[in-house]
Amino acid sequence: MSSINNTKSFHLISSQKVSFTFDGKKLTGFKGDTIASALLRNNINLVGRSFKYHRPRGIYSCGIEEPNALVQIISEHNEPNARATVKRIYDGMIVESQNRWPSLKMDIGAVNNLLSPIFSAGFYYKTFMGPKGFWKKVYEPIIRKTAGLGKPPKEFRSKSTHHHHNVDVVIVGGGISGLIAALKFVKTNYDVLIIEQDSFLGGILNTSKKIKEINGLDTIEWIKKTEELISKSKNIKILKDTTVSSYNYSNHLIALEDKAVGSLPPNYKPELVLHKIRTQHTILANGYIERILSFRNNDLPGVMLAGSFEKFVHRYGVVPETNPIIFTNNSSTFSLLKSLIELNCKPSAYVDNREENSIEKSTLDYLKNNNIPFYTGAEVEGCDGRNIIREAFIRHKGNIIKLKTNMLCVSGGINPDVNLFTQSKGLIKWDDNLFTFKPDKAFQNTIVIGSASGNFNFQKLNDEIKNKLNFLKEVNDTKIEIISNVENDYKISEIWDIKPEKESLWSKSFIDIQNDVTVKDLRQAITEGFDRIEHLKRFTTNSMGTDQGKISSINSLGIVSKILNKSVSEVGTTIYRPPYAPLSFSAIAGRNTYEFYDPKRKTPIHSWHIDNNAVFEDVGQWKRPWYFKNKKGETMHQAVQRESKQLRESAGILDGSTLGKIEVKGKDALEFMNLMYTNAFTKMKPMTSRYVLMLGEDGMIKDDGIVSKINDQHFIATTTTGGAPKVLADMEEYAQTEWPHLEVYMNSITEQFSTFNISGPKSRAIMRKVFSNIDFSNEKFPFMTFNNFKYLDTEVRIMRASFTGELGYEIYISPKYALELWKKIFHSGKNLGLVPYGTETMHLLRAEKGYIVVGQDTDGTVTPIDLNLNWMIGKNKKDFIGKRSLSRSDTAREDRKQLVGILPLDKNKKILEGQHILEINKLPKKIETPIEYLGHVTSSYHSPNLKHFVAMALVKGGNKLMGKKVYVSDPSKSETIPVEIVNPVFLDPENKRLLS
Amino acid sequence: MKELYSLRGLDVFQKDLHQIVLRGKGDEKFKEIINKETSLSLPPENLKITQNDKFLLAKHSFDQWNLFYLDRKEHKEVLKMVSTFNSHEEILASDYSYGQVYFEISGKDKNYYLNKLTHFDFRIKKFPNLSMAQTLVAKIDCSIYHLNDKFIITCNCSLEEYFKERLLDAINL
Repeated sequence: MSSINNTKSFHLISSQKVSFTFDGKKLTGFKGDTIASALLRNNINLVGRSFKYHRPRGIYSCGIEEPNALVQIISEHNEPNARATVKRIYDGMIVESQNRWPSLKMDIGAVNNLLSPIFSAGFYYKTFMGPKGFWKKVYEPIIRKTAGLGKPPKEFRSKSTHHHHNVDVVIVGGGISGLIAALKFVKTNYDVLIIEQDSFLGGILNTSKKIKEINGLDTIEWIKKTEELISKSKNIKILKDTTVSSYNYSNHLIALEDKAVGSLPPNYKPELVLHKIRTQHTILANGYIERILSFRNNDLPGVMLAGSFEKFVHRYGVVPETNPIIFTNNSSTFSLLKSLIELNCKPSAYVDNREENSIEKSTLDYLKNNNIPFYTGAEVEGCDGRNIIREAFIRHKGNIIKLKTNMLCVSGGINPDVNLFTQSKGLIKWDDNLFTFKPDKAFQNTIVIGSASGNFNFQKLNDEIKNKLNFLKEVNDTKIEIISNVENDYKISEIWDIKPEKESLWSKSFIDIQNDVTVKDLRQAITEGFDRIEHLKRFTTNSMGTDQGKISSINSLGIVSKILNKSVSEVGTTIYRPPYAPLSFSAIAGRNTYEFYDPKRKTPIHSWHIDNNAVFEDVGQWKRPWYFKNKKGETMHQAVQRESKQLRESAGILDGSTLGKIEVKGKDALEFMNLMYTNAFTKMKPMTSRYVLMLGEDGMIKDDGIVSKINDQHFIATTTTGGAPKVLADMEEYAQTEWPHLEVYMNSITEQFSTFNISGPKSRAIMRKVFSNIDFSNEKFPFMTFNNFKYLDTEVRIMRASFTGELGYEIYISPKYALELWKKIFHSGKNLGLVPYGTETMHLLRAEKGYIVVGQDTDGTVTPIDLNLNWMIGKNKKDFIGKRSLSRSDTAREDRKQLVGILPLDKNKKILEGQHILEINKLPKKIETPIEYLGHVTSSYHSPNLKHFVAMALVKGGNKLMGKKVYVSDPSKSETIPVEIVNPVFLDPENKRLLS
Repeated sequence: MKELYSLRGLDVFQKDLHQIVLRGKGDEKFKEIINKETSLSLPPENLKITQNDKFLLAKHSFDQWNLFYLDRKEHKEVLKMVSTFNSHEEILASDYSYGQVYFEISGKDKNYYLNKLTHFDFRIKKFPNLSMAQTLVAKIDCSIYHLNDKFIITCNCSLEEYFKERLLDAINL
């Protein structure tokens, strides 16, 4: 086998040499070469091993449809399964073949080919059913080890980005049809996006010699002038090296742009851009795909699609073989024939399945005039060779003619590329003359033109486009005159597979080359009852590879129709699903990974927290200080114990800015609040506050907070940090749907106020130092009251409330002034022992007082009665959300899980959250039957103030078990911890500290 | 006003603006109150803006309007205005001045860069001058106001850093 360069190809003009390695061998190609074109230029045709049988495989096509030539790019984080026919080479690129060991030429796995009788269709389904236990220990480990073609990529951080487009028209495909369509929109009011998967516009004009002239210009010159014209039109944008992968509802397309074509992806720039496009109209001008023919050993390296061979010649300037055999059943291969002769390369033979009287006269004359051996009404029965084709066997008039060759160019016909059209839910229809499916009825605003629509006649192209786009207003009238080098009408004879002359373990006739599915597999599947095309696809894995059977799926329909003696229309087609071509997860993720995975919300005090060694925890999207390290090496436990103790001895300050805040106002605000919360607000005095509960309609606690009443028409409610959006959304929903007669409005003011909680015995003294003009005495500023005060250029709202059980104040201030005030408070409290504390200390302190945390001590199955919060239910209220559910038999029963306190009898024992409350003191070593448990621990902390663990638990009938000895499980031991059920208020039950 | 990023085709400034969120029926009385305090008529339809020398008023929904001051004020003056609105029981006015951050984005390539972060259609025929939108930019809730050749994008102040980082990332990549 020997290749030559086509120096007339535009690709080779002024192209630079590029060196790369394949399986360790240093090779040279040209800038712009794909791996495949460069390998062919170096006379390398064996590039990989097949998926199942490890058969030698070469380069079958010249584009995205490639089933065989999948390689691993070592220089790009081990990127596996890269299509050699798409991926461009660059200096220093390291490429390796896949799925072989120890080497590509000598692959031990090839033994699978000899075992092929047991690997036939349905092998996996039949084999891995038994014996029992084999799946986990035998089959799965082996399958996991051998599955896939390449090796997984090494860890890396992608720089893929997303880009959104909104346009009026998308043209998919920048070939001749796409360019003629684009000319219609030059300098119009339509925003147009042209998407071309190659680096050049022109499509078939670059890849074949089918067209001689357009508007009197050489094709390359016409492309150049057309591109110039389009590029100057400000309303048209061109995306090259971009492949449309999905065509979704609402004319939404996803396309992937390779920004690193022909170069090592840089670390600092995106290598891939995922374009998300919304358009009014989609013009599909994405051409056609050539299909295979199934014959004996049609997978051997050296067997290549005829159109792809021609593409290598013109697009990449490499003639893979100077004297190939051409085997066809249609008129499209004439172009290849001419191309070869014009390059002084004479095909060894031209084998046409059509009878001589069906073949175009021009073709016959050309064959005769150039003395090319040709066989009409003939077929290639099969071919032989080891790692490359050596001989082809032609069946002609009942005889078998053996010809030596290193390359066989095959064409089984061409299909409109209907993949995107069917993704858009368009309907396709079988054409009995062209032997292919064509787009029929569009489901969306989709216009299909050119060969993608089944129009293979260049003379009719301009009229077709004009007619299909004439419904659009004010598009240009373009005159296009095309002179072609080939017959205008495309003709084909029906042939799908060729009966082999001889059979052996080695010889196979493939229908899906990537997934190693043979024609025999299809027959077997039908014999076993899988005669529906969707079932057959899954049973055989036909067209389920990464190429989605682009070059063979129609052939399988043809073969199946013959076996079933049905028409192809009756057999139907499987569904084409996105993506059109494989795309990486990193492309889908874009920048929404790592530091940008989720938005981060920070309070105005965040920088101070960082400066003071805060360790943060995520609460929703918020970054909240968890605890503050006051010295190097201090553990979380040590920090929390220190913060808790210091607060109870002097004072502590918490950044509570993340708490939800909602302002409610309107003439019916009072009634609205009475309906939303369990509490009664009617008799509540203005400028006072109340701890409140919000229930779901099932009566279960949904959220809690503090409601401050300015007057009967104006309230401010706080919510939990995580519950804020939901509470506001629920308020809006109820106001708009359940109680539209109420005139009430609400705004989220979470972000409008920073909130600080200062508590501890010295908090009053600190507040007096900061706000010297305010009287904080018990008489003037009693518990659960609030007021607004002037502060600098703004106002500050101060409420006396506490979540620690200590004397405490909450300060609400505009974020602009928050950090300054925080620093001022801290400065003022320094000498009084003020300590910053985080959420963990807050949880510990509230647990000492038996205060609950919604979401920790509740789990969506807990009512206020379960928590002994009956006092928060406005019993005289006519209604509130969840009221009716509180009187259901289930919610009213006495043995529901109720919140209790838990104290270890041995004060040195540690109780863990989530552990079971049991009545038995010892668990069996092996638990064989379920063990009845009374409940579980919801909160547990070591109290530095009480010097032992305090815990809360939800326990069945807990209220009646006060003083009872029960046991708490310990996950590390079979021993349990004896504990006593007690009231959950462990500290200051008289609230002396709170009201001091 | 602080310049954040400026390159060929894109200028991003962070602005200090005062904003009041107004909720109400939008009836005649509501219109009268707004007009009395701002000399502005309500925008004729949702997602439209009216403005004069001092204020800009955008209609977010059937019962929500956002009022912006076009010149700098002391915060207490804004709070006074909030208080004036709230003295009418049919209106809820909330001060949003410092709970939000404001980015002024201009330059011929502003749509290109913003469309790296949002699907929103910025084309003039779909998003004309003096219109506004509520949409996701870099996965966060934002309001976008189209004022002549500039966009004002606002989001919660807690997301300020994240927004700036995403914007810078979009510019750099």
